[in-house]
Amino acid sequence: MKFSRMTEHIDGLKYLAGKLELSGSRPLRYLMETHFCTNRQELESGYDILQSALDLVSDPARLPDCMRLNHLFSQIHDIQGTLQAVAAKRVLDEIELFEIKYFAFLCSDFSLLLNDMGFTHEPLYPLSEVAAILDPDGTGVVSFYIYNSYSQSLAAARDRLRGTDPGEQPGEWEALRQDVDKAELEVRKELTRRISYHSGVLRENFDTLARIEIWFAKAYLAKRYRLVRPEFIPDGGSEFLAIEEMFHPHIADALEDSGVSFQTVSIRLEKGPCLLTGANMSGKTVVLKTVSLIQTLAQYGFFVPAGKARLTVVEELFLVSGDRQDPLRGLSSFAAEMLELNRIFAAVKKGTRMIVLIDEPARTTNPNEGMALVSALADFFTLHRTTALISTHFGDMNLSCRKLRVKGFTGQSAVPGEVNAQNINKYIDYSLVEDMDGLVPEEALRIARLLGVDASFLELAKKYVK
Amino acid sequence: MPFIDRIRKYKSLSIVGLEKNTGKTECLNYVLRRMAQTQTQVAVTSIGIDGERVDLIKSTPKPEIYVEPGMYFTTLSRYYLEKRFCAEICEVDNDSAVSGGLVTARALEKGKIVLAGPSDTVSLARWVEQAPLKWHVGLALVDGALSRMSLASPAVTEAMILTTGAAYSANMSRLLGRTRFVYDTLCLPAVPKELAGRLGEVVRGVWAVDERSELKDLGIHSALYVQDVTKIIHSGERRIYIPGVVSNTLLDKLGHQKEVSGMELIIRDFSRLFTEPDIFYRFLKEGGKISTVLQTNLIAVCINPWSPEGYHLNARELEKRMQEVLGLPVYNIKRLER
Repeated sequence: MKFSRMTEHIDGLKYLAGKLELSGSRPLRYLMETHFCTNRQELESGYDILQSALDLVSDPARLPDCMRLNHLFSQIHDIQGTLQAVAAKRVLDEIELFEIKYFAFLCSDFSLLLNDMGFTHEPLYPLSEVAAILDPDGTGVVSFYIYNSYSQSLAAARDRLRGTDPGEQPGEWEALRQDVDKAELEVRKELTRRISYHSGVLRENFDTLARIEIWFAKAYLAKRYRLVRPEFIPDGGSEFLAIEEMFHPHIADALEDSGVSFQTVSIRLEKGPCLLTGANMSGKTVVLKTVSLIQTLAQYGFFVPAGKARLTVVEELFLVSGDRQDPLRGLSSFAAEMLELNRIFAAVKKGTRMIVLIDEPARTTNPNEGMALVSALADFFTLHRTTALISTHFGDMNLSCRKLRVKGFTGQSAVPGEVNAQNINKYIDYSLVEDMDGLVPEEALRIARLLGVDASFLELAKKYVK
Repeated sequence: MPFIDRIRKYKSLSIVGLEKNTGKTECLNYVLRRMAQTQTQVAVTSIGIDGERVDLIKSTPKPEIYVEPGMYFTTLSRYYLEKRFCAEICEVDNDSAVSGGLVTARALEKGKIVLAGPSDTVSLARWVEQAPLKWHVGLALVDGALSRMSLASPAVTEAMILTTGAAYSANMSRLLGRTRFVYDTLCLPAVPKELAGRLGEVVRGVWAVDERSELKDLGIHSALYVQDVTKIIHSGERRIYIPGVVSNTLLDKLGHQKEVSGMELIIRDFSRLFTEPDIFYRFLKEGGKISTVLQTNLIAVCINPWSPEGYHLNARELEKRMQEVLGLPVYNIKRLER
């Protein structure tokens, strides 16, 4: 799946993409076209490149170099159209020839700087031959025109034209001017022919520069958010994923704006399903969002928001959040959810390597059947050894699969009035613990009472708690 | 060489016509030729416009500028490719909003070119600011348009030449009166330097300025709507700074107040004033004062006695009377050329 589509599915991905310091729409276009990488080796070598970029941008002594590099990125013109013209051997006009010369000069500036910085991962092809074609007098100046030295007949035609006054001999001037135009066209044809031999390397360098820019933008992002390089878990064992102190940058930033810091969470998953329970507002959804964000970032070659992350490369990541309706197809949220689950079942049966994250499945239907569906999901994933993290409110389902619980509300000794909607997250411990008894914490009424919800109403509710 | 020496005191200049066909292009070509003779390096561009070479309304040909060897010029790439003289491309800017991008080139021969450069104030101001640094030119010249006066504001270029003529009005008295009005708005007095520095930082809102030059926010967003104008009047302040547009309504209402005399309205520069002559003059006549933060250095007024429809005014008489009305030298470029 392309990055651009993935940003619509994974919460927080678009936010981070927006934080990348890219010089404009050209590198952004490349980023959006990136594919979800499922090749472990390719990812590892990408991380090596990213790590070198991160070392450079983190080294204060390299600051001037890095600033110069950013400046050079901003100097790249989007010459996609010109490159297509070169490939198609369409005769280039003066401006396009200038653009090619400018690009060739820029590439040599890049090569010098990157070599100097010791960043040799994505080498550029030397374009000195192209530069020489467009700088026939060897001036080393980036400006361009159809130089006299390209053709003797052009030089002669220009000489004749110069000796004629357009005001006094308009007819003759016009004829001579056309000779010049013809001679210039011949030169442009010849230049186009010579440059078209280098079409491939021009294109290659143009692409490479966008890739390098994205590596550096990822490095700046990693520096800014203290992202870490993920490690991959060797095949064979039962461990699937182990993330320590993970955080969700978008939510963390939003919290920070209101003066609250994000509490990092650690999680470990094995092959097979795992249920995630916890009280209301205990951050189950955030856990799912963060795990999906980390897995996604890793497979698009980013470092990840955690203290440490050990992951498994998957072919597909499924994130099902039950409140997603499908308004275009007019489906209810339950129907949309079921169809999405069905896609997952098909992938499971095909043997796809995947991770599944489901947020409160069957929450919109009756609890009796809802519990049945959740239990069946756990059984299905156990049977196929599919790694799945399923958050749920249903308790006491007597399932043998692994269960994690958010520690949850810690304000037991708080008095009504002390806790309110603004400060309640201070009273919640978001860390995850193994849940042996499988009982879901029943704290909804207490939290509601502390929030100051009408006491007589809560008395009524209490009667119905079994 | 009249007024050329005055131009050389400035790093940037715009030439603005009160109407199309008031001889702006002749004036620009005259300046370009003379600057070449004085060995001053020049970069020239025009305010980017609709781009048609023929003015569709009056179907008169769109001006082509004559550049001299060594001059830098900035125009749309499609106009660049139509040129028929040798020039060296120095820079291509694809980032601006203009389709196809802008080319800056150095003329290697004399030749004519249709100019259409940056089309918004920010890019134009950047062009003016960067030209001396990038191309080592002594003068950045902008071919302006009255319909886009803000682009000729002193925030963009230091100095200005105004062209007027029969195309603006074929009735001499009317022409003199209208030109005088524009001239008067251009020559509004400047506030003291220290205050100008302080006001220059403020770009929106409506402010009272006391005798110690302290600013007080009147909490009014702009001076555009009737309710804003009413609030300004009711504030009872005697010295008001409005960085944004000053409308007819405001000046009209102020002019009708009992205590106009001694009141001072400070505007950013002439291009923010959108007002009718009679309302403008009544405010001043009643004793009101209008001053500006950025002052325009008007170098010269040039006249063209011919209109595109074929009318023409007596050139000598126009020159003489315009000079009397404005109290400064007026030039007929066509006659200077001879």
